Amino acid sequence: MAVTASIPMTQPTALPAWAREMWRYRVLYLFVLPFAALVVVFGLWPIAQSLVLSFASSATAFRLNPDYVGLENFETIFSDRRFIASLNVTLFYTAISVVLNVAFALGYAVLLSSRYLKRGNTFFRLAVFLPVITPDVAGFIVWKWMYNQNFGAVNAALGSLGLPLFGGIADSDTVLSALVVAELWKHVGFYTIIFLTNMQLLDPALDEAAELEGATAWQRFWYVTLPQLRPAITINVVFALIQFLKTFTVVVVMTKGGPNFSTNFISYYAFQKFEQASYGEAMAMASTLFGLVLVLTYALYWALERTDWR
Amino acid sequence: MQLKKWLPAAGAAFLVSTASAAYAETLVVWHDLGDNGVNWFNELNELYQKENPDITIESVSFPTDQWFGKVIAAINTDSAPDLIYNNYERVIRIQNQTDKVMDLSDAFASIEDKAFLSDADIGVATYEDRMIILPIQRVQMGFGARTSWLEAVGEPFPETWEDVLRVSQKFQEEDPDGNGQADTFGIAIEAANPRDLIHMLDLYTFGTGLRHTLLDPDGQVVINQPRHKEVLIEVMKLFTDYKYVAPDSVNHSFAEMYQVIEGGRAGMFRVGDWNVKKWDAEAITGDFTIGSWPKFAEGDTNAVVIGGMRGVAVPENAPNKDASLAFAKFMLTKEAQAASLNNVGAAVRGDFEMEGLSPNRLFFAKPEHNLNAYDFPESINPAYPEIEAEYHARLLDAIDNPPDDWSAYVESLAADLQALADEKKS
Repeated sequence: MAVTASIPMTQPTALPAWAREMWRYRVLYLFVLPFAALVVVFGLWPIAQSLVLSFASSATAFRLNPDYVGLENFETIFSDRRFIASLNVTLFYTAISVVLNVAFALGYAVLLSSRYLKRGNTFFRLAVFLPVITPDVAGFIVWKWMYNQNFGAVNAALGSLGLPLFGGIADSDTVLSALVVAELWKHVGFYTIIFLTNMQLLDPALDEAAELEGATAWQRFWYVTLPQLRPAITINVVFALIQFLKTFTVVVVMTKGGPNFSTNFISYYAFQKFEQASYGEAMAMASTLFGLVLVLTYALYWALERTDWR
Repeated sequence: MQLKKWLPAAGAAFLVSTASAAYAETLVVWHDLGDNGVNWFNELNELYQKENPDITIESVSFPTDQWFGKVIAAINTDSAPDLIYNNYERVIRIQNQTDKVMDLSDAFASIEDKAFLSDADIGVATYEDRMIILPIQRVQMGFGARTSWLEAVGEPFPETWEDVLRVSQKFQEEDPDGNGQADTFGIAIEAANPRDLIHMLDLYTFGTGLRHTLLDPDGQVVINQPRHKEVLIEVMKLFTDYKYVAPDSVNHSFAEMYQVIEGGRAGMFRVGDWNVKKWDAEAITGDFTIGSWPKFAEGDTNAVVIGGMRGVAVPENAPNKDASLAFAKFMLTKEAQAASLNNVGAAVRGDFEMEGLSPNRLFFAKPEHNLNAYDFPESINPAYPEIEAEYHARLLDAIDNPPDDWSAYVESLAADLQALADEKKS
């Protein structure tokens, strides 16, 4: 009412219902329009351009009138065994990272919200959130040094404990786990904060009632707390899925896609193709990744929303 | 009255100012040489303005990957800079992507003072019968070793591959930096990207006097020829058998390799002519000796490698084409070349005063060693980068899963690469 009260009331009657609705709230639309315009110009337009260029030949991709080659770039990348390997390792890494990050964040949030953690609560919250606001490159450079085979802290600690040394990012058998840990450190604080926020909205009466009925702590968590955390779980899983499917910075800083292409995720492979002036293939890879993110995100969101959490 | 009095004067002043503004030109150069390059072009601007006071030279440096994208996009959308400056093989890519890099043959023919350029220099500048760059800076790369480390382990500068292996062993076992820790490696190397590991192979291959790393001009794979095979296997064994390089080297590109060199973790390394000025003043502070690359066999010849040619190119749609061509030709004059050597550490002529240069800088500026140039395969085989990328991928796999029989592995790899080269040729 406050919005409509200050505007002229002469409403065109010949318009269809949706247009009359928009007319009625036109001031509201005027306020949101600039942001939407920015999204179109800086978000949707580049996406549309890259989709178009994925059908262009590399040699002419940046000309005013590129030569279009149909699906040739997509045929090329899907017949490239390294792209298939890249696709597989991206999906595998994403699956592992999403599960670990969300599970770890949930566990940490439960611990932080415990009524018994009275001292140092702020410190522990800060400790888990600080990596989120640390610049990506700086954080990953430190991890790279920690994994260094020559003077890294990880192997120094393992060696002093008499444990076998860790191959870290120099060994194709261990590099994925090394990156999973580094990225867990980097991102888990964000997911933890979302869980903590959701936990502050839980109804304590439900937990108390279950306790009075004789439910164990595990049963109360599983049947009372967890279903109430559904919004946070959904948003965290979706965020994490998007985050890890697009993994790029950690690879650029720490592994350059190696050793032996074992961390050659799609984003990085597309970037390398771009650097080699294979613009059409690079755009086809980027478009494939974009499609993958869209489909998987929607599918996961749909599945999580339909799940019976009780 | 007052207005009437001043109006003609103001009009005249306006006409004079617009006329001189129309005459004055600013030439913009896009390069990737960083601060050294910006300083060089600033000095060139001062020198050029002595004879051409109405022309100003402005340079902009981009990281190499951004340079590619910006140049290609600008040329293809008719917003090109006046001049572009980079390595010849990068300009070839620009030409392939735009078809708008000017043929400089006529401009080159009109230069009288050019006897200092060899046929090889001119050959590199030519692509598909067009002279796409004027060659300005020859890129030389030698083999370097930490002087104090050699003294600490009682070794002279390594001349042969056997020397390199022996010195590497000592650098790793005898604590040459005296810090009480086993934290040093024999050799700095890079292997992350296709150009990294192959670049290292190029240096050891050309440094021992061979002429091709992967393909000869007829498109035949050479890696299984006896001398080439030995170089390839020995360099690969640095990673797998000898372990004279840092284990992390498989993830190292140029930046990481420089950290290993400048951080004092490896005793032998590549020295480019552009590295010397910095390494004389800081990082290594002059504690390095430069020489030719080691030879692998008795009959081989040690050489310093000419690894490329940087040059200036003019887009067909440059805003001030005539002025750009005139400035491009100026870059080959003595004074411009002296400025190039002073700022970037490289030039194509050396017939000027070089007093005050350190011995390390004179090593490249007044070469008294064998020089062996790259075969520049990109200029004759458009599919070369693709074949090279496959070669690199297979080598990375061999580092990760070392074969029991290296010789058989190289034969098999050569057959696969030949099939790929033939397929691309057809």
